[in-house]
Amino acid sequence: MFGRARSPVVRKDHSACSGCSLCLLVCPVWRQTRDPRLTPEGRAKALQHGAPARELAASVAACRLCGACEPVCPEDIDLVGMTLGLRAHLADPALVTALHGRMKEIASQPLRVLDAKIAFLPGPALREKPQVMARITALTGAVPSTDDGVDIEEALQSGIPIPRERLERFLGHLRAAQEVVVEDGQWMRPLREWLPKARLTSLGAALGNLDAVRRSLRKTDLYVIEPRAYHSDYERLVGHYDRLRTERGCAFNLDLQRIAIPPAAQADWILKGLRVERVVVERQEDAEAFVAHGAYPVVHLAELADH
Amino acid sequence: MERLNARLEIPEVEPGTLGACPVAPDALVDIKRQQTNPARWRGRGWKEFSDAVRALGVEMSETISARGAYATDAGGTAYGLPHGVVIARSAEQIAGLLKAAQAHRVPVTVRGGGLTTEGESVAFGGVLLDMTGMSRVISIDPAALSVRTQAGIFWHSLAEELRREGLDYLSAPLNLTSSVGGTLGVGGIDVNSPRLGCSADQALALQVVTPTGDIVECSDTQNPELFARVILGYGQFGVITEATLKVRPYTPLRMHYYYYSSLRTAIEDLQLIDRNDASDYSGILTILDCAVNLLVAFDSPEREAAFKAGWESRLRGHGEFGFGLRMLGRYALRPWKLGEAWLLLQRKRELFPELQRSEYMRDGLMLDRTVVFSRAVWNFWGGRQMVIPDLATSAAKFADAVERGNAVCRKYFPHYTLYCVGIRLRKDHREHYEMSCIPPDAEEWAYGCEFEPMTNGRTYSRDHLQSFKNAIYDIGVDVGASYYRFGGMMKGYIRRVFGDALVDRHLAMKKKADPAMILNRDVIF
Repeated sequence: MFGRARSPVVRKDHSACSGCSLCLLVCPVWRQTRDPRLTPEGRAKALQHGAPARELAASVAACRLCGACEPVCPEDIDLVGMTLGLRAHLADPALVTALHGRMKEIASQPLRVLDAKIAFLPGPALREKPQVMARITALTGAVPSTDDGVDIEEALQSGIPIPRERLERFLGHLRAAQEVVVEDGQWMRPLREWLPKARLTSLGAALGNLDAVRRSLRKTDLYVIEPRAYHSDYERLVGHYDRLRTERGCAFNLDLQRIAIPPAAQADWILKGLRVERVVVERQEDAEAFVAHGAYPVVHLAELADH
Repeated sequence: MERLNARLEIPEVEPGTLGACPVAPDALVDIKRQQTNPARWRGRGWKEFSDAVRALGVEMSETISARGAYATDAGGTAYGLPHGVVIARSAEQIAGLLKAAQAHRVPVTVRGGGLTTEGESVAFGGVLLDMTGMSRVISIDPAALSVRTQAGIFWHSLAEELRREGLDYLSAPLNLTSSVGGTLGVGGIDVNSPRLGCSADQALALQVVTPTGDIVECSDTQNPELFARVILGYGQFGVITEATLKVRPYTPLRMHYYYYSSLRTAIEDLQLIDRNDASDYSGILTILDCAVNLLVAFDSPEREAAFKAGWESRLRGHGEFGFGLRMLGRYALRPWKLGEAWLLLQRKRELFPELQRSEYMRDGLMLDRTVVFSRAVWNFWGGRQMVIPDLATSAAKFADAVERGNAVCRKYFPHYTLYCVGIRLRKDHREHYEMSCIPPDAEEWAYGCEFEPMTNGRTYSRDHLQSFKNAIYDIGVDVGASYYRFGGMMKGYIRRVFGDALVDRHLAMKKKADPAMILNRDVIF
């Protein structure tokens, strides 16, 4: 009922949950609250026993959609899809109407096709850093999208369906691109479906593959992986970061299961026991947690090439 | 009609007693027996109880979304719903809950990771107390090599905290989501248990909430009687809320695998290694009963070198290449068993890489053994039904018991795995071991074997699974063994294995400690 049917690969739904609790171990909400009801397992088990969606509202709202639960699930359940399905079911009609109104307005504004083989979808915080943006374009050849897609991102997070005309405008301006680089891994899942022929790359992987960036990483760096992109392509990226660790010796925001710890509200935990001198982030939003911590300089991965 | 209804009504059974049984004890030999869920508590006085608990400020959830999450355990064969769920937050909260439960005679079932396999952590009515709400590390003392932690913590979460200090726990189940409190109550084995003992033996001190709601600190020197009863006590004598555990400096593992075509030979070599303290870790994992893996591992290059120099040549197992050649010869002579060969190859292709994933290895050393093995356990043996009967015996009886259990597995399932490990015993903890998973005749080491069917997605009937478990448990009765999970056996086995006198003595202690028989009352008595 709550599983998303739009995923191209048919994955298991909540009924397959065996209650192993492995998702609890990596869930940032669990780590903060120690409340199993607020975890993917809590939601799956409740659904198995016929709980109505309204009873899960608090649990669904608490999820940060970091996707850490998915690579550890031995049953390969679409846990993020389950949560988004519940969010769609619980969405406030007034919010849906307001967002759809905004989206239709945006859709009515003309937009030129992005003239680039590599398109780049930065998040709002990165868009406010023009120098870093320019550096990314210089290093990767990726051209920032002119449609920021903020409303689409909001709809994706809320599980709200996206009006066809809005989606056509957004995807239309990316249609010349053979590769799309995303800063926030949240885009990975829908773009895989919407642009099946385009190569999708996380910004971290795109920059991390460049010698100029890699060689500037130090043993005393804490490298902060953007969790959503990492978890959505875990089997491939776990090798990428493991090689980076072997080559450069830097520390990562990974737990013992090699799952990325989201920095929001967890900077202290990530830094605990580490001897670092600098924090390197893939996603500009993640810098805030460490800037607030105040103990170390924080740089974007793209800025490493200048160091 | 009224008379018919009266006849059909299931009579209430006083907790701690066995209901009247019209079947003579020997009448069930060779007859399939079905384990049934305990009778559901009918909810008498629930409203008054829940009002009293809420008046204490305890959050009690009665929604289906909260209760449904606990409807079964990892075994997936026993189902029951609590009337309400309380997430543990403090010893004081639990004390209030248990006092109210005593007063209103409401059963309380305590759950940690929920990894029981026979419904021990399933509530058949009453309150489900979820201890994972108390899962924070309180303090780490690197100098004294000890940690104080809330007992609902998962061993893996504890490892995450300890590793930030360069430390590790001594031994814990090879499963990431076992809880500390649950493990201390039942035993807990690791591949270093032949040296370091069961997980329960690493507890230095506990904070316990007794069934009557007193908060008591206990250890070998402080309230030692309570300590002896709570450790390996199957949750009968109190709720463990905090634990002080021994820890050690973290070391990655140097792993070696030896392969055998004979289960008995592998067991003899395992015991040779244990007796001579030749390795830091040892255990047996079978792929088929003719393809047996003896795992040996070390914390240091010195220990590894000493093993290589003094013991490796005495082992009768082979390396992977040598064993592969032997298997080639075996199947060349037995072409009708090619299906078996195909299974072996498949296992090698699927399982072996999982045990050597590069992100968990560095310079040939395994960094996180629990992560590696737990992932494999859930990926290859996990599922909605996990049936893992076991036997725990003295060293002398072990090989016979395992061979008999292996024959039972072969009869019931096409594919299965045996996991065998030794458990070093502490002479000063003999009192802890009474009526526990540690068999009464074991000296220095006990040995345990788990018999794990690989269902490969196939669903078996509960009757089939129960018959299989009974057949394994019957071996235990026959040879005078015990069981890791004896709390989950049919209650009749408890008396058959330990005898009425011992069980009645423990039942008297239980009734004294828990007058209304509220705490985990369906587990043993």
